[in-house]
This record gives sequence, C-alpha cells and structure tokens, in this order.
Amino acid sequence: MADIVDIAVNTEGFSTLVAAVQAAGLVDVLKSPGPFTVFAPLDDAFAKLPPGTVQTLVQNPPQLGRILKYHVVSGKLTKADLEGKTSLTSVEGSEIRLDLSDEFEVKNATVVMADVEADNGIIHVIDNVILMG
Amino acid sequence: MTSTLTSPPPVIPPSQHKYADIIHRLEAGGSMLPDTPDNLMQIIGIYKAYAVPMDFYWRDLLYIAEQVFLEPFPFFKYFISQEYLDLPNHYAGDTADLRIWRGEAAAHPELLEFMATGEVKKKLPKLLHHLWHDRVNMEFAEACMRAMLWHRHMYAPVNQFDAYLDTDEYKQNADRAIRAYFKNNPAMLALYKLFPEMFYEKVRELSYYSNLGLFWEVMAPVFFEMSDIYDEGGFKGVPDAMNFLVNGIFAIAGRPIYHHVYVDGECYEIIPKSKGFTWLYEAALPYVEAVFYRTAPFRGTKSYNAQAGQVPEDQKDFHYGILYADVFPVGTAGIPPTLLMQDMLHFLPPYLVDYYKQHSRGKDDALIQLGITFQRSMYNVTSAVIQALRTALLYPLDDPNPKHRMANRQFFEAQMDRFLRPEARLSDIQTHDYR
Repeated sequence: MADIVDIAVNTEGFSTLVAAVQAAGLVDVLKSPGPFTVFAPLDDAFAKLPPGTVQTLVQNPPQLGRILKYHVVSGKLTKADLEGKTSLTSVEGSEIRLDLSDEFEVKNATVVMADVEADNGIIHVIDNVILMG
Repeated sequence: MTSTLTSPPPVIPPSQHKYADIIHRLEAGGSMLPDTPDNLMQIIGIYKAYAVPMDFYWRDLLYIAEQVFLEPFPFFKYFISQEYLDLPNHYAGDTADLRIWRGEAAAHPELLEFMATGEVKKKLPKLLHHLWHDRVNMEFAEACMRAMLWHRHMYAPVNQFDAYLDTDEYKQNADRAIRAYFKNNPAMLALYKLFPEMFYEKVRELSYYSNLGLFWEVMAPVFFEMSDIYDEGGFKGVPDAMNFLVNGIFAIAGRPIYHHVYVDGECYEIIPKSKGFTWLYEAALPYVEAVFYRTAPFRGTKSYNAQAGQVPEDQKDFHYGILYADVFPVGTAGIPPTLLMQDMLHFLPPYLVDYYKQHSRGKDDALIQLGITFQRSMYNVTSAVIQALRTALLYPLDDPNPKHRMANRQFFEAQMDRFLRPEARLSDIQTHDYR
C-alpha cells in the first residue's frame, strides 16, 4: 500500500495540497510511520481562499506548516471511529470541531470522500481548507 | 387569471435579537455601519488620514523593538533612524512580498513633509518640534501596544505568541540579546543578574512593539489603497469597503510575526519566524480584541468607583476601546485617542475638512467629529473581522443548509451581544445625527 504523500501525489485534485506540503517541508513527516489522520482539502478548496492567501503562506513555510498541521491528527481514525465525537486535537495543537450527526463535517468543511486508506494512516477528503479558531 | 409572485421562504426565521436589523444586514453581506454614501465618504477619508501616521507608527515601533531595545534612557526613541524611515514596506512597492496594493514601499510623502516642518510649517530643530509635540504622537502607538501587553492571553490557545513569552526558550533567546546588548555596561549586567525577571518583562513589552509594528506595516498600504480606489470611484458602497478589508485579512493572514533585535549589526532572534506565528492569529485578532474592545480606562477622563462595580472584575469585560468610546470627553483630555485624532487631523483629505466645516461647530470641534468618523470606520473594520472569521470558521452567507445558516446566525448574535452594554456606540452610528 502507498503512504499518505504517495496517495496525494497520485490522485487528481490534490496538486495544491502536495505543493503546499512540499513547500512547508512536511513530506518526510507524512511519509513517516505515523499513523496520521489527514483531512485533505481539494484544489477547489484552496481556490476558494481570497487572492494572495496561499501565496503569502507558501512564502512562509513555518506559517504554512502550521495551517497544514491543523489538518492532521495523530492516530488512524476512520469515519466509524469518529462517530459520536465532537472534537479532535490537531497536530498543530488547536481543536477541530466535528459533526457526524447528518453528514461527515469537519469544522466548516464537509468530507466528500472518507476513509482513504494509506499504510501510515487514513485520509478524509474535504471541500474547504479548515482554519484554527 | 392572476398570478402572484412568491419569494421562497427564508431558510431560517428572523432573529429576535435587540440588534436583529444589523444581524440581518450582516447576513446579507453588509457591515455594522449602514451603507450610505456619507458613511462611505467619511470612513475612507479617515482611513487615509490614519494611514499616514500609521506609516510612521509601524516604522518607529520596529525601530524601538529592534534597535533601541533596552536603552536605559530612551529619550530619543521617537527620533527614528534614517534606515527605519527608509525601510521598504514588505507589502507595498516593487520589492513587496505580495503586490496587491499599489502604494510605494517608501514612507508616504505627506508624512515626510510633516516630519520636516510640522504643524508650524517651519523647519525648526527636531528637538523643538518634539518638545512642542508638533510631531507624530507615538504615545498613541505605545498605548495600543501596552493594551495588547496588559490584556495578554487573547485568543489563547490559538494565539501562541503570548504563551511563548513565558517559555524558557523565550527567556534563553532574550538572555542572549540582553547579554550582547549590555556587554560593555557592567552596571546594567549586574542589575540584570539581580532582577532578571524585570528585564524579561521589558523584553516582552518590546516583543509587543514588534508585533504591533508588523501588524500596522500591512494596514498602512491597505488603507492607502482604499483611499486611492475611492478617489477613482471604485467603491460603490460600505460593503465594498468592508469586503476589501476581508480579502486583505485573508491575503496577509500568513505573514510571520517575530521579534528580532540587532546589536552591533548582529541579529538576535528573540521570537524567530520559524515559530510559525501569523499576522492573523498572533497580531490582528489580539489587536482588535485589546484595542477596539478592551483597552483600559484613560486617566483624567472620568472617575471610576471600582468598589461599586464601575470597572469590570474580569479583564475580558473591559469596554474602553473605540467601539464604546464617548468621543467627547476623550477628545478633550489629551490622552492617547486624542493624540491619534490630532495626528489624523494633519492628514485629512480636503473633502473631509470641508465636511467637518459644514457640521456641528465646524473647525472648532473637528477633532471630535473626526473621532466619531473614526469610530464609524472602526465599526466597519470590526465588521470586516467578523465577516472574515465567519468565512474562515463558518459558512457562506447563501448556504442552503438551515443548520449552517443557524450557526452563522448564532455567531453574529454572539458578536452583537458584546454591544448590548449601554456604553456601546453601535446604535449611535446607525444615524447621521451622531457627530
């Protein structure tokens, strides 16, 4: 099986995320044994951000890394594992709000594809970049 | 046969909040400030008048944080070095990291002219301008910085800057800079050995100088750009001006917030950029909370009886910022907000000068009139922050899901709850009679 980074690289719709992970120098971390749960925003999610947002972040890898780490949780958590939970603590340190009562929602993002298995964790594909606060 | 036009039922029922009208306006993409040409003219004019002194504030804040540092007698901290006056803005000019705003990287020409000749329009020795207070009032910038330092812990734990100031890592970084700075001053080194915490606290204050300087470095070109767009006929209403700010907040959100100190040309990183601290979380949001909402009662304006509960027990309930200010006593007492008003008075665009002449007591109470304009403009900036937070953390205004719309509603209502206390000026700014 492929790791989290390989899956993102080989799947259409994650080119911005892959570029961001590379710019932030997080490739090695996401290739490590982990395991991690990654909420992976699609290219369209990054495109929704106002002009300049991604550019400023890419120019500043530590700041970009912090936003990306907010999308990562320690442990391999499938959708079934997350049922009934209302929040998770991200690798960045801030809480991520969850709502699985109707759809599978992570803060203000909706999971459009859950439980993509990788050999060092699991990916849930989301339609918005999530931000701390 | 007749047909009737029916609009689709609203996704959620109307708000029952005291400020329901304003909440519905926010839900429609508006600002807390009503959308009128008069309001638009006033707020853009004052943004321009604010941006000129701000162009000095950010430069001098960084000069103090990075160069003056722990100078025991900082008499000349407002005498900015040429290097810092010439510092290219990171978000304006051809060398900008991000070129969204068209302004120049160099200090604004109106600022340079004022620094040279002051209000008296005469080139006198710098010290005379300084002692006469015929200069940019840095005391206002320092008051804002002090509000941020004093309130601290704002937006914790998302704001990580503040917690970092109490870490051993921070103290070690500060220690290196302190020892280097005083390497030829045994008296200060001895004092440092005796009272290290006093020195660390002073360095924390300087870190907030840097924080605020880096924050305002961005806001100055944003406000200049807004003024230019308005002059070109570009903004159609108050919501346009608000949305411009929302986009600006996002564009720059990831700008690093750090504190570097230079001793004999060598850089000491007290807060390195690698900590990942950002403009939005570590500067902008704490600034808005500390300065727009909270600050502290100004000495000399009013007597408070703390035992009678006239000063809140919790710092989070402090309400002495511009959103609550009674501009009249503030405008007569020679205190930080008055200093800002005095600074802005020097750089008003002609259309605002004419406007103030036509109202109230004309030129005689222009300081108060512009203070109230400033209050209106900061309600608009706060609206931009509220809409930016809603965009970042919640849902689009036209989201078809009632649950999402209700989450937005609850967020807006919680924000408006902060203006339920009688001191809030939200109701006042809804009319044009409030001047």
